[in-house]
Amino acid sequence: MAKLKPRVPVREQPVEERIHNFDSVPYGYNEEEAIAEAQRCIQCPNPTCETACPVNIKIKDMIHFIAQKQFKEAFLLTKEDDAFPACTGRVCPQEDQCEGACILVKTGQPISIGKLEGFAADWARKNGIKEEIKVPSTSKPKKAAVVGSGPAGLACAADLRKYGYEVTMFETLHQAGGVLEYGIPNFRLPKDIVEYELDALEESGVEIKLNHTVGQNIGFDELQEEYDAIFLGTGAGAPRFMGIEGEKLNGVYSANEFLIRANLMKASLFPDWDTPIMVGDKVGVIGAGNVAMDAARTALRLGAKEVSIIYRRKMDFSPARAEEYEHAKEEGIIFQELVNPVKIVGTDRGWVKGVEVVNMKLGDKDSSGRPRPIPVEGTEHIIEIDTVIEALGTMPNRLFLSKAPELKTDRKGIIITDENLMTSIPGVFAGGDAISGGATVILALGEGRRAAKAMHDYIEGK
Amino acid sequence: MSHKITRKMDLNSADFYVEVEAPLVAERFKAGNFTILRSNPQGERIPMSIMKAEDGKIAMFIKKLGKTSMELYKTLDTFENVIGPMGNPIDIKKYGNVVVASDLVCGHAENYAICEALSAVEGNHVISYQTYPTADEVYPDEVLADKVCDEYHLTTEDGSRGEEGHYIDLLEERLEKGEKIDVIFAGGALPNLQELGEMTKAYNVPTIVTVRQIMVDASGMCGACRVFIDGEMKLACIDGPMFDAHKVDWESALRRPNMFVEKETVATKLCKETGRC
Ligand SMILES: Cc1cc2nc3c(=O)[nH]c(=O)nc-3n(C[C@H](O)[C@H](O)[C@H](O)COP(=O)(O)OP(=O)(O)OC[C@H]3O[C@@H](n4cnc5c(N)ncnc54)[C@H](O)[C@@H]3O)c2cc1C
Ligand SMILES: Cc1cc2nc3c(=O)[nH]c(=O)nc-3n(C[C@H](O)[C@H](O)[C@H](O)COP(=O)(O)OP(=O)(O)OC[C@H]3O[C@@H](n4cnc5c(N)ncnc54)[C@H](O)[C@@H]3O)c2cc1C
Ligand code: SF4
Ligand code: SF4
Ligand code: FES
Repeated sequence: MAKLKPRVPVREQPVEERIHNFDSVPYGYNEEEAIAEAQRCIQCPNPTCETACPVNIKIKDMIHFIAQKQFKEAFLLTKEDDAFPACTGRVCPQEDQCEGACILVKTGQPISIGKLEGFAADWARKNGIKEEIKVPSTSKPKKAAVVGSGPAGLACAADLRKYGYEVTMFETLHQAGGVLEYGIPNFRLPKDIVEYELDALEESGVEIKLNHTVGQNIGFDELQEEYDAIFLGTGAGAPRFMGIEGEKLNGVYSANEFLIRANLMKASLFPDWDTPIMVGDKVGVIGAGNVAMDAARTALRLGAKEVSIIYRRKMDFSPARAEEYEHAKEEGIIFQELVNPVKIVGTDRGWVKGVEVVNMKLGDKDSSGRPRPIPVEGTEHIIEIDTVIEALGTMPNRLFLSKAPELKTDRKGIIITDENLMTSIPGVFAGGDAISGGATVILALGEGRRAAKAMHDYIEGK
Repeated sequence: MSHKITRKMDLNSADFYVEVEAPLVAERFKAGNFTILRSNPQGERIPMSIMKAEDGKIAMFIKKLGKTSMELYKTLDTFENVIGPMGNPIDIKKYGNVVVASDLVCGHAENYAICEALSAVEGNHVISYQTYPTADEVYPDEVLADKVCDEYHLTTEDGSRGEEGHYIDLLEERLEKGEKIDVIFAGGALPNLQELGEMTKAYNVPTIVTVRQIMVDASGMCGACRVFIDGEMKLACIDGPMFDAHKVDWESALRRPNMFVEKETVATKLCKETGRC
């Protein structure tokens, strides 16, 4: 067997430059690089990569097309299973999914499936190649409402339109896209990519009603009256706080507030844009998932001199994407592992001046399969920081739920659905973070599509 | 979609009146709701109380304070977004003797809206107090709450017009005399709302006040507007903005609105230099 070539590396913005801007860190493959990487794929008879992709993209054939320079075919093939390959190629935790299951993983050089997928989608965008959408013409089309414009809602709306529905999407913010717009920073997921998808959706005839909060300025009951089927893609956007002493001090943010200010409201462009953000010299981010990485790297780009990730386990157990962790390390983010905040301390003027932490040791595995962190008594000490960003995960959006009491949820507010993604209210379906409590973009996209199909079947009486 | 401003008028040296086309907000507004404004595509999302809603338009009282409000006062004739109604309306029902009190721009707007809503309920005797520092600062007659309540008190702190004193002191005198007040709704300066709560607690009068906090999304997703009520974290945008004054953690509620002062000062200065406001 010929010796396996190593992965074609992805060119990236140099560290010294990128920590001062919000532009994409990876440049992505060019045609030659993509072809070279695609040629490494050994075209397994039983492609394990595909079974590990949550939406079972036909990865093997996609790669084959790229290797043959048939980029258009590669793109259209991914589109069959993945509504937004340009996004998932960039944000999927590939090492746990497709790439983690690639047969070549044993060699330490699995195929860069995500980068290839992103390449094909970027190529299509740059060359004006779009999936052809044929909306069946019906004399009296059925009406569907989609609540929330995150990946779940977007994927659902796109497919409902293809089934011939008149689709109206409701979004509480003044910008559509959900976490893709307000949460994930531009340096990871450039906003022109998201906006391109939004334009395509509108072109296909989906009406997007911004500034419409279902349950607040438009009633859930009104939707139920007007629409034949409803999809709930309201996400899990409510921030969680640790609930420790000192959290009321100024200088404490939820990661959501910090990222909404920075991304959606463009606080990096303040004062040209109106929304301010205060970033101290020393920022501490509590948590170590994707959200924490995003907040930390955003703080750095907003001018913080020193940014620490404060994590109660070891980074080996962090749920963050491997690429983001690598990038964060390169950019100089400090990782304080095995410490847990017990209280935030402040100045006389009510501003954060530090966080008191206790050292942790790892015990037996807990329900998440990771070792349980246990505090080591008597090891309390203070980490000096002047800004605290809490990235502890989020909870389902309470506003909508409180106005839809008839909808069955679990104790945490996660909407309960059956195997067809239908909620306890007939004709009302749900997907994405609203039914998982927080997962991934690709799962949200997949569920959005699955729900669209189920809604169609339901309406057709199948 | 941009929203046309149909009327602007000075209220006093600091505050002005704005009327804007916002059919969705106007149609659904109930006393206690607020709106989120964005002045332009780069604009901040800022919360504003609504004084009244009529014919597809809403009216607001706005203080010339920072960038958005000044720009609006000086140069704008449209808003990029007028969003809402957001927040919870007050419970519009029979209370008996209701006092509605205010001493600052947002409070005055709410005063009007709440009086109008509650005096329409049979069995309520609605008493409005509006306190201004001095006669020159009293708003024009046409926007005062006297036409929408049963009993009206205009007060100035220096006594130059109406009754002399702040509404807190005047109310305390009434309570001291044993007068029965069933509920108080108040809005305006936060420190005064705290003081009002301390005063009415002694008399056991339910006191519901607007706890104004900085907001971003106003749909419960950022936590910027968190307030602590009886030790529990609540979000002013979706749980409020009105809360029981006796239960609010005032120390943090008073401090949080100052979190961005430094930056806002910069923005306002720049905006002035460039003539936008
Ligand atoms: C900072 C951050 C980084 C992340 N990084 C990654 C990553 O690298 N890879 C990955 O796979 N996943 C990542 N995730 C998770 C991923 O973004 C989510 O799982 C995904 O966005 C969920 O999609 P959704 O459509 O269910 O919800 P969301 O994207 O949350 O969208 C929900 C939308 O509904 C709107 N809404 C809510 N309530 C209402 C209402 N009542 N009326 C109208 N509209 C409403 C919200 O405003 C929002 O726009 C990240 C999440 C965050 C926050
Ligand atoms: C429910 C609610 C109702 C309100 N009603 C009114 C009203 O009827 N009339 C009115 O003039 N103002 C009202 N406000 C306050 C108003 O939102 C702020 O004054 C506004 O954001 C100022 O914007 P700016 O750009 O002009 O000033 P900025 O330059 O943004 O701010 C100037 C100063 O105002 C304070 N501030 C900023 N944002 C807020 C905020 N969201 N809440 C409280 N303080 C803030 C800060 O101390 C800041 O330093 C209300 C706020 C809330 C939460
Ligand atoms: S969608 Fe995600 S998991 Fe599936 S192939 Fe693409 S990058 Fe891999
Ligand atoms: S498992 Fe790896 S090598 Fe095999 S087909 Fe998939 S990407 Fe190619
Ligand atoms: S303004 Fe964001 S949670 Fe209230």
